[in-house]
Amino acid sequence: MRSPLYLLLVLALVIAAAACDTGEGVDVGDAGPGETPGADGGDGEAAGGTLIAAISGEPDQLDPHATSAYPSFQVLENVYDTLVQPNEDLEFEPALATDWEVSDDQLTWTFNLREDVTFHDGSEFTADDVVFSYNRIIDDEMANAYRFTSVEEVRAVDDYTVEIEVNRPTPNMPANIGAFKGMAIVPEEFDDDMASNPVGTGPFTFESYDQGQSISLARNDDYWGDPPALDGVEFRFISEGTVALTNLQGGQVHWTDNIPPQQVEQLGGDDSVNLEQVPSTDYWYFAANINEEPYDDERVRQALAYAVDREAITQAAHFDAATVNQTAIPEGSTFHTDHAPYEHDPDRARQLLEEAGVENLELEIMVTDEFPETIQAAQVMESNFGEAGITATINTLDFATWLERQGEGDFDVFMLGWLGNLDPDDYYYAQHRTDAGFNFHGYSNERVDELLDAAREETDTDARKEMYDEAVQLIVDEASYIYLYNPDVVQAWRPEVEGYTPRSDRAIRFENVSLTQ
Amino acid sequence: MAGFVVRRVAQALIVLLGVSVVVFAIVHLVPGDPIRVSMGPRFNQATYERLRERAGFDLPLVVQYGRYLANAVTGDLGVSFFDGAPVTTKLLQRLPATMSLAGAALVVALLIAVPLGVTSAIHSGSKRDYAATVFSQAGISIPDFWMGIMFILLFAGVLGWLPPSGYVSPFDSPLGWLSHLVMPAVTVGLVSGSILTRFVRSAVLESLGEDYTRTARAKGLRERVIVFRHVLRNALVPIITVTGLQLAYLLGGVIIVEVIFAWPGLGQLALLAVQNRDYPVLQGAVLLIAVVFLLINLIVDLLYAAVDPRIRYR
Repeated sequence: MRSPLYLLLVLALVIAAAACDTGEGVDVGDAGPGETPGADGGDGEAAGGTLIAAISGEPDQLDPHATSAYPSFQVLENVYDTLVQPNEDLEFEPALATDWEVSDDQLTWTFNLREDVTFHDGSEFTADDVVFSYNRIIDDEMANAYRFTSVEEVRAVDDYTVEIEVNRPTPNMPANIGAFKGMAIVPEEFDDDMASNPVGTGPFTFESYDQGQSISLARNDDYWGDPPALDGVEFRFISEGTVALTNLQGGQVHWTDNIPPQQVEQLGGDDSVNLEQVPSTDYWYFAANINEEPYDDERVRQALAYAVDREAITQAAHFDAATVNQTAIPEGSTFHTDHAPYEHDPDRARQLLEEAGVENLELEIMVTDEFPETIQAAQVMESNFGEAGITATINTLDFATWLERQGEGDFDVFMLGWLGNLDPDDYYYAQHRTDAGFNFHGYSNERVDELLDAAREETDTDARKEMYDEAVQLIVDEASYIYLYNPDVVQAWRPEVEGYTPRSDRAIRFENVSLTQ
Repeated sequence: MAGFVVRRVAQALIVLLGVSVVVFAIVHLVPGDPIRVSMGPRFNQATYERLRERAGFDLPLVVQYGRYLANAVTGDLGVSFFDGAPVTTKLLQRLPATMSLAGAALVVALLIAVPLGVTSAIHSGSKRDYAATVFSQAGISIPDFWMGIMFILLFAGVLGWLPPSGYVSPFDSPLGWLSHLVMPAVTVGLVSGSILTRFVRSAVLESLGEDYTRTARAKGLRERVIVFRHVLRNALVPIITVTGLQLAYLLGGVIIVEVIFAWPGLGQLALLAVQNRDYPVLQGAVLLIAVVFLLINLIVDLLYAAVDPRIRYR
């Protein structure tokens, strides 16, 4: 027997040779950057091609009612439908329902359904599927069951009519059932297999899932709307932003929303990539504990609102990828309230604290590593508070502990965001109504309560808007939440992608997209 | 020999049992109730209790552990909290990608470490030795995630020679597999190679000072024969030990590199499980990595005899 060392050396030589060989091979090989991605995808017909999208994470699961992860919804948005859906201006339009009406007492909603819809497995879509889907969310207490708190009964009047009976007027019903695909209509025969192999009615059908790598969808030729131009969509999971961007610039992917915020500005001047940003419906804010002294004095809370430098906080947390806002709803939305009383003014903050008789205020900013932007923002807030003579410390907690302490009211000031709201009731009610579910900081104002109660039952949009404007001004002036900014939706795609528009609600739809060569 | 193997396996099993206790304990002792967290800010006590019951969290810890162990022995590591898929299946799906990466990285590491370490030892104190030392120090010090990103920006971005990320199965396209493998393997291999270089150097240096080397020189053997037949052969035992450890480390510990290169391996799966607090998957991944570690150690122990006939097992 020869020494194992020879074996090792021979092996090393062979591998080295192989590596050199293929080094060249790759250079001229099939994955050459600059080529159209997916061009080597197989059938080579002149049809729409496969769009490759790089998303930043892997779905945790593909059951639309159970998941709360954004990557899941990025994929499912293209597979499932809801009865109604937000259009690009976030107003609700027909989807699986052709039209709907509400009874005079506002306690019965009637939805008329499309009659030409089939699920991807060929079964027909009827009212029973709607009843099944909504009851599944309610009875199994799925993540979104709270959207049905006013619902007494969901029933099929006939094959294509559904009635939803509520115990109090619910003008945000369209938002409740159509804001996102968490309220998707699944087939009545839903089983465990469909939880991992989605069967919907949407423009694309689920084709395959490569764990850790990608999910592929194919065009649904029987789609009830205009069938998509694309043959399919492949979602690749690329969590590192720089790498996703290199893939986009090199042409390995067509589209991505995983763009490092510090590179947004520089990409604006890059002709090989189209980049667009719109303020999202998400907002970030901080709140002081009104149940505790001295924050029960609104002057102290106002002092905090004057002390912070929103521009600097926004820059620190998101670079150029966020828009400063002193209310919750972004500019451009119907229910945006144009009200911005605070500016960065440490002297005014000191003066207010003095008036309130507060000296040497020490406070703890409670943030969580679950959302790193809160830590970055808190670092700026810490120094902002210092300028106003307030000694701040940052307490970074894991999210579970954070939630626990928020729930117990054990905090001075916390920072967090709300994601994905559409109806103004979702933005303001649970957060600011006296003793409402997420009013952990203890805000209470009779007039605000009155307005929020009335507005959630008002059906006239203009009248509703007026009520919210008044309530929001009070909320902002009394510094219940101190609003900071709306992060932007930042997405980029290659020039050959046509017909794509980024949306404030972060829904990603490829049904109207086509690829040019 | 047979007796030795039986004893070693028995030892390994005891260690494994210990690992399973630790893994089980970690999951149940870390702050943050997994079910509470998975529900996010929208909390409902009834739902919470129902979910806890479904996961078996309402049972005493000892009972939970007993169940877990009994199932694990039959290869059933539970199902994911999220997609409900069996953990064992999920792990097996990830194994080929991780084994590709670890194997290739080890080859890169040895290709760097053996020539560099040997040269460095033979010419110890020379400029070559210092150059090798600087190189290996740099390799150890530069963070692999930074190096990985630099490689991507250079070879995929600027030069366009290699695909920036992703994995292709060798059965679908051997060339595609290799082209995707090069950058992550070199990234991981450079770090491992730098560490190994230090060990090869010191092992060879030690062997160079031994009596048999002096004897070989006195016999008038050529220097090349001395180095390859006498010095290196004797230096192999410590080198194999460290190489084995490195391989085990590579199989489980290349999380960051897998994440950067979107490489669908075990490390990426483990990280996703941590992020989602998908405890069954996390437990399974740690357990599998521990098994691999123990297996490689066992193989290394057995390899000693093949390398050095003086070693006998009793």
